Amino acid sequence: MSGRSDRVAKRIGCAAIVAAAGVGLGLSVHHDVQFTGSVTTAKYVTQENGQLRQEECVYDAIRLFVPKGATVYVTARQFQPTQRLAELSTLWAVPEANIADAQYRLWLVGPHGQFVYPYPLTDAAPDPAKGKCEGLTLEVRRL
Amino acid sequence: MKAVVVLAVGLAVPGVLPALAAAGRSALVVFLAPVIGAVMAAVAVEIELGLGGSLLPDYAGVAVAVNVAVLAWWVAARRAAGRRRVPPPLTQGAWAWSVLAVLVVAACLAVPLSALRGPIFGGDGNSIWETHALMVYGGHHELLTSLQNVTYQFSNPDYPPLVPAAGALAFKFYGLANLHLAVDMTVLVTACGLGVVAMGLVAVSDVAAAGSGARWPARIVAVATAGAIGVVAFAVSGNFALQGYADLVWATFAVGAVVWGLVLPRSPRALTVAWICAVAASLTKNEGLATALVIIVVIALRYRPLSLPGPMARRWAERAVFVLVPALPGLAWAGIIRVIGVHDAFFKTASGETPLMRAGATIIGMADHLHVAPLALAVLLAGCWFLRDDRQRAGLANPAWLWICCLGSLAIIFGTYLIGGLEIHSWLANSVNRTTIFAQVVLYTDIAVWMILAAEGASSRAPARADREPPPASEHLPEVLDGARQAATDHS
Repeated sequence: MSGRSDRVAKRIGCAAIVAAAGVGLGLSVHHDVQFTGSVTTAKYVTQENGQLRQEECVYDAIRLFVPKGATVYVTARQFQPTQRLAELSTLWAVPEANIADAQYRLWLVGPHGQFVYPYPLTDAAPDPAKGKCEGLTLEVRRL
Repeated sequence: MKAVVVLAVGLAVPGVLPALAAAGRSALVVFLAPVIGAVMAAVAVEIELGLGGSLLPDYAGVAVAVNVAVLAWWVAARRAAGRRRVPPPLTQGAWAWSVLAVLVVAACLAVPLSALRGPIFGGDGNSIWETHALMVYGGHHELLTSLQNVTYQFSNPDYPPLVPAAGALAFKFYGLANLHLAVDMTVLVTACGLGVVAMGLVAVSDVAAAGSGARWPARIVAVATAGAIGVVAFAVSGNFALQGYADLVWATFAVGAVVWGLVLPRSPRALTVAWICAVAASLTKNEGLATALVIIVVIALRYRPLSLPGPMARRWAERAVFVLVPALPGLAWAGIIRVIGVHDAFFKTASGETPLMRAGATIIGMADHLHVAPLALAVLLAGCWFLRDDRQRAGLANPAWLWICCLGSLAIIFGTYLIGGLEIHSWLANSVNRTTIFAQVVLYTDIAVWMILAAEGASSRAPARADREPPPASEHLPEVLDGARQAATDHS
C-alpha cells in the first residue's frame, strides 16, 4: 500500500514539475516568438535596412573626404556621433583625442544643420560623394 | 547567407576534427565544431596582438596545430584502445533520436534567427564589437595602436577577442562591403553555443532514460525542451542578442560549461566539452572570464573532490591543472592587454556614492531581472523531494553545483557594481539587464533538466525508491554513462 501511494505521489509531483516548468519555458518561448514577430515586419526591416545604408554611406564618405592614414578629431558633445565616427574611421583614419593633433575634424549634422539623436533617416538617395546620407550629413573641415 | 557560409567553412570545418575528438560520433559535433573554430580564431587574435601577424595566417597556424595535435592523440588513443574494449557503435534508434534532436533544436533556433532578415544594429554591437572586428581585420599594428588609442576608450578595448575574431573572419571572406556581417556572425555563433547547451539536455535525457526504462513520450519532452532552451535564451536577451552584443554569447558558453561539466555524469568527454565551453566564455567578455573561472574551479572540485583519498600534494596539483589548463587562454588575453597598457574604464574613477546606497540599488536592479528565480527554486525543491533518487541513479550531478555557479556569477557582478566607479543608477540602467542573462539562462536550464527528469520519472516503469540496480550502459552516450557510477559521490 505504501509503495503504491509513493508511486502515486511521485507521479503527481512529476506532473506538477512538468507543468510548472512547461509553463515557465512556454511563456518565455511565447515572448520570443512575439518579439521576433515585431522585428520581422516589413516596416521594421525597411527601417533597419535604411539605417544600415546610412551607416555604410557615412563609412564611404569618410574614405572619400579624408586621405588614408590622416588624423581626425571626431569628439562631439553627445557620445553617439563620437562613437559612430570613430568606429567608421577605423582602418582608414586615426582618431585623435586632442584636436591640436588632428588634421581633420569630422562631425554629423541632421537635415537642418543641427545634430539630433536618434539619427534622422529620410528617403533621400544616399550620396557619399557629397557626404549626404539619407538625412545625415558628414561635415569635414581641414584643420 | 554569407554569414552561414563563413560559419560553416571558416569556423566549423577547422573545428570538425577537434569536435569529433571531444564529442565522439555524436550529433553534438554539428554545434560544437563552430564553437571550437571560434575559440581557435580568438586564440589567433591573441597571437596577432601579442606576437604579430594578421588574422588569417595566425588562425591557419592555430587550426593546423590543433588538428595535428588531435590526429596525433587519435593515433595514440587507437593504439591504446586496441588493447582495451572498443565503445559499442551507435544503433539506428540512438542515431534517429540524435538526428531528430539536432533538427528540432535547429528548427527552434531558426525562430529567433529569422530576425536577421533585418539588419538590427546599434549600441555596443557597433561601438564595441564591430569596431574591434575592424581592428582585428587590420592586422597587428592596427589592432595594437587602436586598442591603445584613448579615443577608443568608449569601446572597452580590454574586452576579449572571440566575437571580433568571428566578425573579422567574415570580413576576410567577403570584404567590408556589408558591415552587418560581423553582427550576423555573433548571432550565429551564439546559436551554435545554444545548440551545445541543448544537446547537453538531450544527453541528460539519455542518462536518465538508461536506468528508468522510460518510453518515447519522455524522450519527446526532452527533445522539445532542448529545442525550447535556445528560444528562451534569445527571449531573455531581447534585441541585445540580435544587435551583436556579446552578453548572450558568453552566457551561452558558460551555461554549456555548467551543463556538460556540472550536470551530466563525470566522463572525459563531458569534461572536454565543458572545458571548451568555459574557454569560449572566458574569451568572449570580462564577465565571461570571471564566471568561467568560477565554473572551472567548481568543475575541478567536482572531478577531484576534497574527500578524494591519496597524497594531498598530488591531489592539489591535479586540481591546479584542472583549473589552469582551461583558464589559460582567457588569462592570457587579460595578461596581454595589461602588458600593452590597456585598462577598462569601470574602476578608473572613485564613486561619491556610499557602498550601502550602491548595494541597495544593485540588489533592486538585479532582482528586477531575476523573475525566473522563484520558479527555479520551487522546481528545485520539488525535484529534490520527488526525483532525488532518480537523479542520483542517473549519475547526474548534485544541483548545488549549478546553483553555486549561478550565485557565484551574481556575486561577482554585484561586487563589480559595488566597487566600480560609474554612477550606479545609469550604470545599472544600461547594463543590468545584460549582466544577469547568464543567471537567467542557467536557471531556465536547471528548470529544463528537472522537467526532463520529471517526464522520465512520470513515465518510468522502474520502482519509486532507490533500491534499484545501477543503470545499464547506454548505447547513446557510453562514456558519459561510464562516469555515472563515479558521480554518485557528488550527492554525498
